[in-house]
Amino acid sequence: MLPSGVIFKKYSGEEAYLVTRPQKLVFALFIVALFLFPMVSSTYLLGTVSFMFITMIAVLGLQITVGMAGQINLGQSAFVGVGAYVTAAMAVNYELPFYVAIPIGGLAAGLTSILFGLPAARIKGFYLALTTVAAQVMFPLAISRLPRSWFGGPNGMSMPSMELFGYEIWGQQGIYLINLCFLIVFATLTFNLQRSRTGRAFIAIRENDVVAPVMGINLVKYKILAFFAGAVFAGISGGLYAYYVTYVTAEQFTLWLSVIYLGMLLIGGMTSPLGAIFGVIIITLLQETTHDIGGFLSDRISFLDESVIFPATNIVLGAVIIAVLIFEPNGMVRRWRIAKAAYRIWPKPHG
Amino acid sequence: MSNIVLSAKNLRLTFGAITAVDDISLHVKKGQISAVIGPNGAGKSSLLNCLSGFYKPSSGMVEFEGEDITNLAPFRRAERGMARTFQGNQTYQSMTVRENILSGFHNQMSSGLLGGLLYWGRVQKENAHFINLAEEIIEFLELEQLRNTIVGELGYGLRKRIDLGRALGLNPKILIMDEPMAGMNTEEKGDLARFILDIRDARNIPVILVEHDMEVVMDISDEVTVIDWGKVISSGAPDAVRNDPKVISAYLGGDVA
Repeated sequence: MLPSGVIFKKYSGEEAYLVTRPQKLVFALFIVALFLFPMVSSTYLLGTVSFMFITMIAVLGLQITVGMAGQINLGQSAFVGVGAYVTAAMAVNYELPFYVAIPIGGLAAGLTSILFGLPAARIKGFYLALTTVAAQVMFPLAISRLPRSWFGGPNGMSMPSMELFGYEIWGQQGIYLINLCFLIVFATLTFNLQRSRTGRAFIAIRENDVVAPVMGINLVKYKILAFFAGAVFAGISGGLYAYYVTYVTAEQFTLWLSVIYLGMLLIGGMTSPLGAIFGVIIITLLQETTHDIGGFLSDRISFLDESVIFPATNIVLGAVIIAVLIFEPNGMVRRWRIAKAAYRIWPKPHG
Repeated sequence: MSNIVLSAKNLRLTFGAITAVDDISLHVKKGQISAVIGPNGAGKSSLLNCLSGFYKPSSGMVEFEGEDITNLAPFRRAERGMARTFQGNQTYQSMTVRENILSGFHNQMSSGLLGGLLYWGRVQKENAHFINLAEEIIEFLELEQLRNTIVGELGYGLRKRIDLGRALGLNPKILIMDEPMAGMNTEEKGDLARFILDIRDARNIPVILVEHDMEVVMDISDEVTVIDWGKVISSGAPDAVRNDPKVISAYLGGDVA
């Protein structure tokens, strides 16, 4: 639903996401606020938000593969891992700067995903989910068996710090700003894709993969393209992650993480890039809160130690995902749209 | 140059022991509406699916504009200008009406993944250009009020119309329609019949349709082919077919006179 009084003079105007001047203004202020956030935030909070940005890029990628194109992917964290490792190798072995190493990592993850996306040409649903799990299983095995000089073998790799124009980007503040810039770029790309020819082809495949080829869409090509695009995002996220944690090992990229990514997308809403962003925020808040409450409880109640608290937080997480699937299968994005429409027709609801 | 657009030559399609299409030949001429009719299970839909590439015929040939397209995948046929509509609800439910129709223009657009991600000036212009073309179809099908409505919220008859619009987006040289009238009320049937006639006359697109509603078929088509048990039992102008004793016996039962 459009804000009141908006009239388009050209059909192309309807493609814009921000139409009115107040919308543009608020959005610009929001971006500026994000850039100024490090000045007021505590280091811990800044680190958490910074990490959220990294996760968002991976989940935005998942939104392309799973949300737009409807190709289930349970191996996203393996592609994040490929990105992280290749970025690390580029930064350590070839001493490339981060703005070259990270895109190479993204591309490497994209190319890897083609291998696991190929089965999508023939299978779908559960079967496709299993082949993407294969990526997840093979990743740590491959990393630990490849030559030590490439990816450090089972020991992992230690990252240098980021450098820009000869200055070292130091501390949580610098990393936050870099992550924010990457997020803005990749979020914009995802929103763009959605309204483009390729995005429409992806959605067509998700909605009806029997009809789509009759409308001239090359199913195999577009399914692989969806995997590729999603995994490039994952790879970029992985590269940023490598610089963020300063040390990469294969154990960081688990099936569990892939499932969490998918859970984030489900809660936020699969059908919109906004869903990916909402989902990451909601799950991160939830994780932080349950973690805090868990810590609080384990300090006071003797039998609640770490071995109980960690599984308990995951149970809460699982319960929330199930609750959302039951009560709002379209995710928070739908709630957001309803709220927006309600605001626009207030105080005189009509229709 | 002959005026035959699409032809099936001695098509045969078998599923195990069952022969769904048995040595069928038919020709669709330029500027004509051809109908395929027949009792339930006669093999009409199987024939259509051979034409649009869902089934690979066991033997025989499909020719489109004089070229053999028997082994082409459906999306390759779409590239050459073959469009079809479907039985039942086969629109993209979560897209708006306009997006559905816009998706039909896929092959005429050229921007790729990178262009879509960056959405720079050229891609924006291309999008705007094709939105204008989609709007022409929206106007033709009288869907102006609904252009931004999600298709999943619309009724059956309207969805069929959107399905038709999407096929028109391909700018086709032939339109294949699988039971376009099924499940519609009289008014919707009237509208759709008018659109089909307009597609032939104003847009110069030949149509081949499978239909059960005899009244409609006899009213709008230029040529009718009747099939039963996978074989052509009669073909020709509607009036000739209507009075063919073989057709009457296929529909009403009894001995062939």
